[in-house]
Amino acid sequence: MANEDVKVGRQAEEDKGALGDSRPGTIKFLTGLGAAAHALRMADIDVASSYPIRPYTGVMMMLSMMAARGELDLEFVHGEGEHGQLGIAHGASSAGARAMTGSSGVGVVYAMEVYSPISGGRCPVQMVIADRTLDPPGDFGSEHTDALSTRDQGWMLGWAHTPQEVFDNTLMYYRIGEDPRVYLPQMNCQDGYFISHIPQRVVVPTQEEVNSFLPPLEFPDALDPLNPLGHGPQIFPGQGHVLEATRVNAMMGTFPVIDEVVNDFNKRFGTSYDPFVEQYKCSDAEYVIFISGGHAFTGKFAVDHMREKGMKIGLVRTRWVRPWPTDYLADILSKFKAIGVVETNNSFGAARQCGILTLEVATTLYQCDNKPVLTAFMAGLGGEVIRLDEFYYMGDVLKDAAAKGSTERTAYWIGFHNV
Amino acid sequence: MKTRFKKYTVEIPEEMAIPFAGIVESPKPNGEQPMMLTGGWRIYRPVIDSEKCVMCKSCVLACPDATVLLVDGGNKIGFNLDYCKGCGLCTWVCPVNAIDRVPELDFEDGVPFQDALFLLPHVEALYAD
Ligand code: SF4
Ligand code: SF4
Repeated sequence: MANEDVKVGRQAEEDKGALGDSRPGTIKFLTGLGAAAHALRMADIDVASSYPIRPYTGVMMMLSMMAARGELDLEFVHGEGEHGQLGIAHGASSAGARAMTGSSGVGVVYAMEVYSPISGGRCPVQMVIADRTLDPPGDFGSEHTDALSTRDQGWMLGWAHTPQEVFDNTLMYYRIGEDPRVYLPQMNCQDGYFISHIPQRVVVPTQEEVNSFLPPLEFPDALDPLNPLGHGPQIFPGQGHVLEATRVNAMMGTFPVIDEVVNDFNKRFGTSYDPFVEQYKCSDAEYVIFISGGHAFTGKFAVDHMREKGMKIGLVRTRWVRPWPTDYLADILSKFKAIGVVETNNSFGAARQCGILTLEVATTLYQCDNKPVLTAFMAGLGGEVIRLDEFYYMGDVLKDAAAKGSTERTAYWIGFHNV
Repeated sequence: MKTRFKKYTVEIPEEMAIPFAGIVESPKPNGEQPMMLTGGWRIYRPVIDSEKCVMCKSCVLACPDATVLLVDGGNKIGFNLDYCKGCGLCTWVCPVNAIDRVPELDFEDGVPFQDALFLLPHVEALYAD
């Protein structure tokens, strides 16, 4: 990889005349949104539909810049709101375009009606999400409740934990979602601010490499005025459950495709992603932090420090929430004594007043012979940082839980119970 | 780690199969669905002024229920009032304001004056006994 133009953030962008540079194997310093924009440019997207809301909107600023400078042949359409924005992406994808859109926080949920028609129409739209806390209080920080609220709408859903992973996921998600065995939309999520606005080193491959990894989209039955078709199913009675079943099959049929695509990506680009679940220092761990998204970055440092003190702790990071990698996680998680799920989301009134991920983890473990002690850490809510000392606190709770076989609480509120 | 792809999928018998994403040729082979009449929801009825109409067919594309019809050998716009729910999109998209929205109360056969729940004789017949 050529390493001659390592510069930081805005300066790098200004010096190079924005974002169009595609020299072989360039190393750039990019925010999560910058990484997404570059990956989308290299994926040669046809249509972007936007509506402004921070923090995600940076990706649209960059894409419009690229389009204006002629670096990307792009139909850039502005919605009248997120509901319309998703409708534009739906239409574009139905017509066979490689379409992207994106949003944050309340914008994600304002578009709620349109998610199911897109996945039911099997349109492989990609949505870039930079998580933002829902209102109130008009907070800008990251909380995953926005995107997790859409988890029952038939979209693939996963989180990156570095800008590099955002870049790579963008390409992998399109290839998975556009696979003829799948045809499903994808939510490419990153934590607002922590990932979306903090630049890190990102290796950008050559256009040729990207082209050979990601072939153009071939959408069956694309809209065509010369061959009129009825999209948006109007079914006979007795077909409703069949239609649902086909979408379930598409989603649950993604496992072999994800496996294949991620391994192919690793082979071509020299990366080492686990297709589903990252395990950090888990081989001899007795208790683990389970996490999704950007706080895993801090979590790994914390695990290193706790290991230095002799604690048998590890970190398990799921790369997917939909489809939920049930069997993988059952294999991985059932061997530990205690698991603490870091919930950067909230589900008011949920079982045990934990967050959404604990419900999934509990369901996963229910069938296993060995059931670890399971607790939740409500952390990073309202976009708060999760500090190292807070991870240490979680480590202490888990160590204790592993020794005793129980925890005092079903959910620990970081910022309250640790002070 | 043992990797396995457990089967969570639903087997769909061949005779129950439906087309990809429920996409069908147009016009839809299902035709009308007399058990799902939506005309009774209408508050405003679309009324076409064929003098003004320039046959751009924007209204045909816009109608969410495919109830804007090409009538008179394809030369005029008409409406299938059994299913038109009065949403007003056709009025909204018409570039020459050829589609008026008239309150159902202004029609002798307006929706509120229908004494049957269903508008069509063939639908009523379904419930005859
Ligand atoms: S009012 Fe709405 S439903 Fe009725 S014909 Fe116009 S667009 Fe269709
Ligand atoms: S949109 Fe207006 S002008 Fe065009 S076909 Fe319909 S009624 Fe006629």
